[in-house]
Amino acid sequence: MAIEIQDLNVYIKDAHILKNLSVTIPEKQITCIIGPSGCGKSTLLRTLNRLIDSTDGVRLEGKVLVDGTDIISSGPEITELRRKIGLVSQRPCPLPMSIFDNVAYGCRINKMYKRHRDLENAVHENLRAVGLWDEVRGRVRTPAARLSIGQQQRLCLARSLAVEPQYILADEATSALDPISSKTVEDLFVSLKNNYTIIMVTHTLRQALRIADNVVFMYLGEIIESGPAQQVFKNPKQELTQKYLSGAFS
Amino acid sequence: MKVTTSKRIEEIVLKVLMWLAMGIVFAFVFSVIWTIFSRGVKAMSWDMITKLPGGGFYIGKEGGFLNAIVGSLYIVGASTLIGLLISIPVVFYLNVYKSKSSRLAYVARLAFDVLFGMPSIVYGAFGFTIMIYFGLRTSLLGGIIVITLLIIPIFIRSMDEATRNFPRDILDASYALGATKWETLKVVVRQIAPGIATATLLSIGRAIGDAASVMFTAGYTDSIPTSLSQPAATLPLAVFFQLSSPIPEVQDRAYAAALVLTIIVLILSIGGRFITNRFSKNKL
Amino acid sequence: MVNNRIVKDRLAQGVMFSLTIIAILFVVVMAMGLYLKSSPVLEGRSLFSLLTSSVWKPMKGEFGFLPFIVGTLWVTFLAILISFPISFLTAIYLTEYARPVVRRFVFPALDILAALPSVIYGVWGMLVIVPWISNHVAPHFMEFSSGYTVLAAGIVLGVMVIPLLVSLFIEVFTSVPAELREASLALGATRWQTTKKVVLRKTLAGLLAAVVLAISRAMGETIAVLMVCGCVIGIPSNILESCYPIPALIANNYGEMLSMPLYESALMFAALILFAVVLIFNLLSRIILYRIERREE
Repeated sequence: MAIEIQDLNVYIKDAHILKNLSVTIPEKQITCIIGPSGCGKSTLLRTLNRLIDSTDGVRLEGKVLVDGTDIISSGPEITELRRKIGLVSQRPCPLPMSIFDNVAYGCRINKMYKRHRDLENAVHENLRAVGLWDEVRGRVRTPAARLSIGQQQRLCLARSLAVEPQYILADEATSALDPISSKTVEDLFVSLKNNYTIIMVTHTLRQALRIADNVVFMYLGEIIESGPAQQVFKNPKQELTQKYLSGAFS
Repeated sequence: MKVTTSKRIEEIVLKVLMWLAMGIVFAFVFSVIWTIFSRGVKAMSWDMITKLPGGGFYIGKEGGFLNAIVGSLYIVGASTLIGLLISIPVVFYLNVYKSKSSRLAYVARLAFDVLFGMPSIVYGAFGFTIMIYFGLRTSLLGGIIVITLLIIPIFIRSMDEATRNFPRDILDASYALGATKWETLKVVVRQIAPGIATATLLSIGRAIGDAASVMFTAGYTDSIPTSLSQPAATLPLAVFFQLSSPIPEVQDRAYAAALVLTIIVLILSIGGRFITNRFSKNKL
Repeated sequence: MVNNRIVKDRLAQGVMFSLTIIAILFVVVMAMGLYLKSSPVLEGRSLFSLLTSSVWKPMKGEFGFLPFIVGTLWVTFLAILISFPISFLTAIYLTEYARPVVRRFVFPALDILAALPSVIYGVWGMLVIVPWISNHVAPHFMEFSSGYTVLAAGIVLGVMVIPLLVSLFIEVFTSVPAELREASLALGATRWQTTKKVVLRKTLAGLLAAVVLAISRAMGETIAVLMVCGCVIGIPSNILESCYPIPALIANNYGEMLSMPLYESALMFAALILFAVVLIFNLLSRIILYRIERREE
């Protein structure tokens, strides 16, 4: 269940965005991708679920093994891949429908349940898993857009969990939230790591320090250093990593 | 896996339908262009575009439709000029003097959109009543007035679109240097000149092809008008009237006139696209 | 010096302001002009009877607009029926699927369709569509048809409306934020599922507004329709009969009406009907479209 990236190169038009990335992302842990903005963190994330395909003039080279199958060349059914890899984006993005339908959306798309009863149970269970159930219990049929922004982000997480993914990608998932919601979501990720492999892009070092098991440090489209969080934070091997961690640039 | 195949099939079916739809669009374009060109080229001759209708023209004798070409150019040229003079200040007013949330700008844009959607026959009918009110007969002047009214909304709408995306920072930069709004306009003009050019070409295309409005107001004549009060022939009406004749030679002239009109409009349209493309390339 | 500059600015502002106001007032003047001109025919005749009577005898002063209204509705309905699926699918492809290369070919084609004058479509209709209906379509259903029919007018008008519909649809679809699509795609939805369940759901009002706008455009189209509709006064019972839409009525009789004030008034009333319908449709749909645009910002 690990993700193995081998010599991954991404080009958009003439620009070389990701350069020779090779890294293994261990399963059932939180891996944080850190680095200054514009270093390719988000591009990497979008490559992993192939959302990058919709970018104009994009070209991918190399291998990304998810469960042992290469998702770049062999091209497994892309929608199946995306179902396996959940995404929580930077700003919460509820679909234009009710809370219930938001969570049920993926289940319906993938026709996961035959009976409505089962679908209902699954929705409730996932709302519980993100701690939203008690807050929205009486109004699951109201538009999701009426929730607070922190609630919306948890709803998006519940929506991702509902399609039973094995991996979760989070793209600065707490950056748009207030400190308290941010903490709630962060704690959620920590509690989820027993069941999911989580890859998080973050630009706040402190967050990475708090929750990361593994760290990948990227700079200008390259991976400078990667490894267990303890090791990278305490004894960075590269000078660039040291400088970044010490706050010389961000 | 079954689920995956069912949604994949749906996807493929829809994609095929979309390709089909675009194929139909292309088929229509080619069919229209091909029809006009194949019939028009056969009927085309040098005389057609250099001579006035001779005696017995409408029973198939000598002559061409220079009267219609010149009439169209007169009307379109004059109304484009007047149209630009009126629309440019309005566009500037809406974009420079009024803020995005201005109530007046909102109502004005709505009014121009409504006028833009008005059928040209309504313009024609209205123009006709105005002319009667002022005691005018069908004339070059009438045609110019109506076509001007018709293209002003087109001008304003398309220029407004080009201007709206204009970065407000540049305005602020100019104000910050102490310039008045009026002086700032000079900066704006240079920036949106390509937008104005495209808008002009598009409007000319619409103006030269419109038949329903000039039918009432400009009338039709075999000679080239020498004053504003004389009636003037126009290309679309040359097509329309000659096509309704039962004599094949006269119909042929309609096809030739249609060809001329189509070529003019195509050049204008391609020119507009060209400028837009150059313009947006520079912006990136 | 400074004063001079500021006076200049004020002056310019004043001129521009009045030009803008005049333009807005023009809509009102137009309505009033047409109303005044059509008032003679409204005298002594109820609006209801004018709109619902089918007796058209200008010489006897009987003006029943029903055949023309029905003709207009038939032709417009058919035009939208033809152009909607084509434009809808094309617009979805261009916004949701197409690579830039495809767009570079399709947009110029749509440009051309949009630029061609009405009269050219009329010529095309007479040379291609009318004979096709007369020779290939009508024989399956009836003994003889000239081809100058509701169907011909509907097809020609449908083609003319395509570029307008496509550009409006594209405008509406692109107002949906990309993140929304990605949220759906990331859950394993296909492009079409995303379009159907997210994009269309979000843009329903806009789509409706676009169609209403296209309807109003189709209703007012004159010359092309006039050339292929047959211009026979009567209520068509099927699409292979001739019809006589309102714009064609106005355009065809402008010469004769001069000699008869009441006839002229009746035709101006016809123009007023068009004006009113188009005005209402345009106002409604534009206001909806503005809302969408603003939400996008």
